[in-house]
Amino acid sequence: MASNFWTSSHCKQLMDQEEVDVVPALDRERGLTLEEFKLIKMHMANNIWKLAQHAKLRQRVVATAVTYMRRVYTRKSMTEYDPRLVAPTCLYLASKAEESTVQARLLVFYIKKIYTDEKYRYEIKDILEMEMKILEALDYYLVVYHPYRSLSQLLQDAGMKDLTHLSWGLVNDTYKMDLILIYPPYMIALACIHIASVLKEKDSTAWFEELHVDMNVVKNISMEILDFYDSQNLITDERMTNASLNKLALK
Amino acid sequence: MSVAPTGHLNLEESPSRGSRSVDCFEKLEQIGEGTYGQVYMAREIKTGEIVALKKIRMDNEREGFPITAIREIKILKKLKHENVIKLKEIVTSQGPERDEQVKPGSTDGNKYKGSIYMVFEYMDHDLTGLADRPGMRFSIPQIKCYMRQLLTGLHYCHVNQVLHRDIKGSNLLIDNEGNLKLADFGLARSFSNDQNGNLTNRVITLWYRPPELLLGTTKYGPAVDMWSVGCIFAELLHGKPILTGKNEPEQLNKIFELCGAPDEVNWPGVSKIPWYNNFKPTRPMKRRVREVFKHFDRYALELLERMLTLDPSQRIAAKDALDAEYFWNDPLPCDPKSLPKYESSHEFQTKKKRQQQRQNEELAKRQKLQHPQPHVRLPPIQHTGQAHPQVRSGPNQPMHNSQSQHPVVAGPSHHYGKPRGPSVPNRYPPSGNSVGGYNNPSRGGYSGSQYPPHGRGPPYATGAMPGTGPRATGNAYVVGAPNYPQGGAPYGGSGGGRGTNMMGGNRNSQYGWQQ
Repeated sequence: MASNFWTSSHCKQLMDQEEVDVVPALDRERGLTLEEFKLIKMHMANNIWKLAQHAKLRQRVVATAVTYMRRVYTRKSMTEYDPRLVAPTCLYLASKAEESTVQARLLVFYIKKIYTDEKYRYEIKDILEMEMKILEALDYYLVVYHPYRSLSQLLQDAGMKDLTHLSWGLVNDTYKMDLILIYPPYMIALACIHIASVLKEKDSTAWFEELHVDMNVVKNISMEILDFYDSQNLITDERMTNASLNKLALK
Repeated sequence: MSVAPTGHLNLEESPSRGSRSVDCFEKLEQIGEGTYGQVYMAREIKTGEIVALKKIRMDNEREGFPITAIREIKILKKLKHENVIKLKEIVTSQGPERDEQVKPGSTDGNKYKGSIYMVFEYMDHDLTGLADRPGMRFSIPQIKCYMRQLLTGLHYCHVNQVLHRDIKGSNLLIDNEGNLKLADFGLARSFSNDQNGNLTNRVITLWYRPPELLLGTTKYGPAVDMWSVGCIFAELLHGKPILTGKNEPEQLNKIFELCGAPDEVNWPGVSKIPWYNNFKPTRPMKRRVREVFKHFDRYALELLERMLTLDPSQRIAAKDALDAEYFWNDPLPCDPKSLPKYESSHEFQTKKKRQQQRQNEELAKRQKLQHPQPHVRLPPIQHTGQAHPQVRSGPNQPMHNSQSQHPVVAGPSHHYGKPRGPSVPNRYPPSGNSVGGYNNPSRGGYSGSQYPPHGRGPPYATGAMPGTGPRATGNAYVVGAPNYPQGGAPYGGSGGGRGTNMMGGNRNSQYGWQQ
């Protein structure tokens, strides 16, 4: 929404990978590993996306919701903040913040439709209570920037609009990682363009050189994305997520 | 950190991050009633700092945290400008507070019984409250000073792609340093420059609502705020609100009577606006701005004409308005610091008194419908060259320099227990709020804060500038009570007071209409 990322709270709140990759103490005590911590977050990002599909919410709302969820877990433990409640609540809050309001009762309705597992079934009052806790955890900073806008502009500038579909999908997938907490959105967009151009065998070297950005960062992000795709084949099993969640002895 | 049982909040521990408790503040006095909660003047216990606490009412919220509050917080967290109210922090209370009655009947789904407060810097007045003080008459440099600050703040919002959408006097807060700040961003929204988004047209208090919104457009931009600014500008010069419709058709009609009927010539594309055919005037109407406000000076008229332009695409932008001749010709806008200090104008007291006032308002409204009363707010002197037999201390002069001879007629409209700082004796010379710097028309960019040196010179009775000064001097004025209710509920209070009918219930219905 805002005009300037550089003066935003989003920019000031960017973290290092090492800071993001800290399993909250309470969760660690219960035996949650870093891999499991990441896996749960990815799984919840998927859940948010799925729920948003039902509620017909825009991609932007999903992206903001996932960012909220990931930010919450840099500050709060999963033991105290059950991811199965945090995820839909973040979507609920993001729908307000992004001016695409969806009613809490509708979300609850879709949740019941999607999940048969009792542990996912929270009620309206749970969501409203959690909303307050999340607002506090976020310190009421609700404005989030995303790579999508820069992506369109950059592709236009590069004259590679035919890569839009592919790179857009790549950006969507970056929300399965913590990249949005670590890098400025336009760098994530560049990394996705980089990957897309390599996959489609388009020579973008000259264009990237003219940009005067730190190509090392772009390549690092690209590598992370590619690593993620490699590893994802191994961990898509939902049962694994549930096994990890069970460690936390929630609801 | 301990863990609360499932389904319960962990209330025992204060959050390690995020919000402090409202207990860090001592509430002193309720100073306003907003649509989503009360506004209090409070003191931070640790520092003694005076702040305003705006309560976000949660008990009636079926949909959790109100989206209006989310909008306001989102925007205020982003905007940092001297002419925009500063949101200092957000504090919470866990559960019902001491001074709060728990309503047994609140059976909404929301079981979170705590409250949220937005903590703002404290401001002493709002523009409407100040203007409506009995005997108050602004000087021209003072009006220019307020207008310039209003435009500067609004320009900043617009550059940051924020539409305020509720510009009116009671949302313009003024402190005793003469600073003016935009407040109440509860209706504000971000916009994109392409104006492709569909926005609701049901915003802005009726009297300040531009014709395009009244005609039902849902694609609009910063120009909507500029219309409101034009209304305020004219109101300041004229001494009373200029377009006072009782409902939307009447408002539109008043606009057409003043600004002429819109057609494809003066407003290309107007016939495609949704409700144009329902509302287009049946008789020809001429633009009469110059005629109605012929008592304004030339530059003021020029600027006003460009603000009250029917076609939003031709309406002047805040940035250009700041460059208008008006602000760069004598008398120049004064330095905010040179403005007089007034006793606080939050006329809010007890609930009982408030109800009493509402009843009176209702009564007054009903009476007004039948017998339009003369307005008694005093316009500034417009013409130069008038005789000024008594230039020294008109009742519009601040109380600190007129205390002895001219006690301010109406007492302070606030009650803080102890009046703060009303007696700053003669900190400013009697001419402190008026003329000066006439020979120093230094121009710069609008952002250059080149205030003319003034206010420290001799009082204007010395004869230095009777020729040019009169437009700013205090004359002998009639003093009377304001004839219409004040809505002085800053920090977002738009409940009650002026234009109560204007938003209808829209402001509270947060879903469905607002996009």
